[in-house]
Amino acid sequence: MGSERRRRSLAAASAVSTAIAALLLAAAPARAADAWWTPVALAGTAVTRVSAIGDTIMVRTGKGATLLSTDGGKTFATASADATLPPDNVVTVGSQRWEIGSAGRVLHVANTAVSSGSVVDPGSPDLGPGADLIAAPAALPGVVVAASTGGTVWRRGQDGDWKQALLLLPASLVQGVPRVTSIAAFTQPLSEAIYLSTDGYAVLISTDGGDDWIRAGPGLPDSVYSLSADSGRRAVYAGTSDGLFEHVLQELPAPPAYQDAALVWRWIGIGAVTLVASVVVLLAMIRLLPRRVAA
Amino acid sequence: MRFDPGSHRSSVAAEGVGDRLQRYRAASWWPTAATLVIAELGLGAALLVPITFSDPNGVDPYLARLSVASVLIALPSLFVKRLEPARPILLALAAVATTYTLLSAGPQILFDLFGSRSGSFDAQVFWASVAQALGTLLIAFAAWRTVAPQWRPSLRMRHLGLGGLAAGVIGSAVLIGLGLALPAGLLGRVALQPVALGRDFPLLGPANALQAFSQEVQFRGLLLGALERTMSPRWANVCQAAVFGLAHLAISYGGPEAPFVPITFLVGLAFGWLVRRTNSLWPAVIIHAVADIALQFGIVQGLYGF
Repeated sequence: MGSERRRRSLAAASAVSTAIAALLLAAAPARAADAWWTPVALAGTAVTRVSAIGDTIMVRTGKGATLLSTDGGKTFATASADATLPPDNVVTVGSQRWEIGSAGRVLHVANTAVSSGSVVDPGSPDLGPGADLIAAPAALPGVVVAASTGGTVWRRGQDGDWKQALLLLPASLVQGVPRVTSIAAFTQPLSEAIYLSTDGYAVLISTDGGDDWIRAGPGLPDSVYSLSADSGRRAVYAGTSDGLFEHVLQELPAPPAYQDAALVWRWIGIGAVTLVASVVVLLAMIRLLPRRVAA
Repeated sequence: MRFDPGSHRSSVAAEGVGDRLQRYRAASWWPTAATLVIAELGLGAALLVPITFSDPNGVDPYLARLSVASVLIALPSLFVKRLEPARPILLALAAVATTYTLLSAGPQILFDLFGSRSGSFDAQVFWASVAQALGTLLIAFAAWRTVAPQWRPSLRMRHLGLGGLAAGVIGSAVLIGLGLALPAGLLGRVALQPVALGRDFPLLGPANALQAFSQEVQFRGLLLGALERTMSPRWANVCQAAVFGLAHLAISYGGPEAPFVPITFLVGLAFGWLVRRTNSLWPAVIIHAVADIALQFGIVQGLYGF
C-alpha cells in the first residue's frame, strides 16, 4: 500500500517536472525567426536587378522584362523601351566618385565638381575585366567595398589600405561557392552598413567598413540577385528569386530600464530561487545518500 | 557493484519502488548517480525558473546565480562526511559554472579594474580564458587532494603519446571535413573574413584553445574521471555527455537553445569515448580546440548573435 502510494507520488512528480521543463523551454525566446526583410511586390517572380529612388522603383525580371513602379512598389507596370537601369560599377558619394574600370581597376575622382578625370586608386586590387560590383557608404568616408570576378570581396579602409575582406565558402561538398551578386550602401550618411547579396547565402552586412560581417537574411530567400539602397526612403531593396523585398532602417529598441519596485522583486525572486534550489539539492542529497558508502 | 541495467531487469520487475530504492542505495554507483541527477535538477531549476519573471538582457545575471548555486551546493560536501562521495561531482559542476562565469564576465571585470589599460577586447578575452583555465586547474587540484582515493577522479593528463596525437590530428581533420560537408546555412559557415582573422587570431586563437582545455578538464577529466570510479564506463560516459549537453543551455540562455543540447551531447559522447580509448585527455583537447577555433573564425554570426 505504502509503496503503491510512493510510486504514484513519484509518477506525479515526474509528470509535473516534465511539464514545467517543457513549459520553460517553450517560453524561451527565439528571436532568430524574426523577419528583418519584408516582401514588397512581385512574389513568385525572379527579380535580377533593382534600382530605387524615392517612390520610383525600377526592376528587371528573370525573363528580361523591365518594370517600373512610381508608388513605392505598390504597383508595377512595363517600363518604356528607353528606360535603363543605372550601372552597378559606379558610385558617387558627395563630391567623390568610385568606379570599376573596364580593365577591372578601381578608379577614383576626388572632387567631381573640380575635375571629372579619374585615377587608379593606389594599392587597389585587380578585380578582373568585367567586375562591376562596388559600394561606398557615405557615413564612412574613404571606405569602399568591391568584388572581383572571382568572388573575392575587397575593402578599402579609411586610410586607403586595400585588403581582402570576405571569401565565401562552398555551400556543401557537392555545391559550389555562391556568387556575389550585388553590393550596396547609403550614399547619404544614414548608416555605416554595407550590404552584400549572394546567390545562396542571402545578404551579409558589415558595419565597420568591411572588416567584420554578419548574416542578415531573415525574411529573404537564399538567392538574392540585386540590392539598391535608397537614402530618400531610408530603405534597402532586394531583388530575389521570389520577388522584391525591403529593409527599412530603424532604431533598435532601447533595453528595458527597471527602476521601480518590480526591479526589487525581480532581485528577491532571483535570490530566492537560487537559495531554495541550493537548499533543496542539499537536503535531497543528505536524504538520499547512504550513511555508509560502499567503497 | 557496478551499474548494468541488463542484469537487473528481470529482478527489479517484481519489486516495488521503495524496495528498489533501498537496493539501489546500497549500490556503489548510487551516490555519484544520485548526486549528478539531483544537482543537475537543482542547477536547472536555478537557471530556468527565473526566466518566468526576470529579463536576461535587463537585470538577470544568470551565470552569476548559477555559479552561486553551484558553490552553495559544493561547499558543504567539503565538510559533511556523508556528502564526501558527492564531492568530486559537485566540484566538477562548480568548476563548470564558476569558471564559465569568470570567462564571460572577465572582459568587463578587467575593464572595470584597469580601464583602457586592460587592452583590446581580444586581450581581455585572452586573459579571461587564462583565468578560466587556472580556476579549472585549481578546482581539479582541490578535488584530487581532498577526495579519498576510491573517489578520486583520474584526470588522464600525464601522457599524450603518438597514438593520442594521431587521434587528435585525424579527429580534427574529420571534424573540419564534416563541417564542410554539412550545408553551410545549417552551421553559418558561409565565409572566411581575412581582415578579422588576421586581427583576432593572435589572441582569440590561444583563448579558444584555453577554453577547450578548461572544458575538457571539467567534463572528460573531473566529471568522467569521478563517475567511472563507481559506474560502468558506458554509463559514466553517457552521464558526463548529458551534463555537457545540458551545460550548453546556460551558454545560449537568451537564444534558441534546444538544438545545442543533443548536438553537444553527441560531441560529449565522442570525446568521452576518445579519452577512454586513448587513456589521455589531450586528443580531446586538440579536437575541441580546433573545433572552437573553427567556430570562432569559420562561422559568420547572424543578426542576433547566432
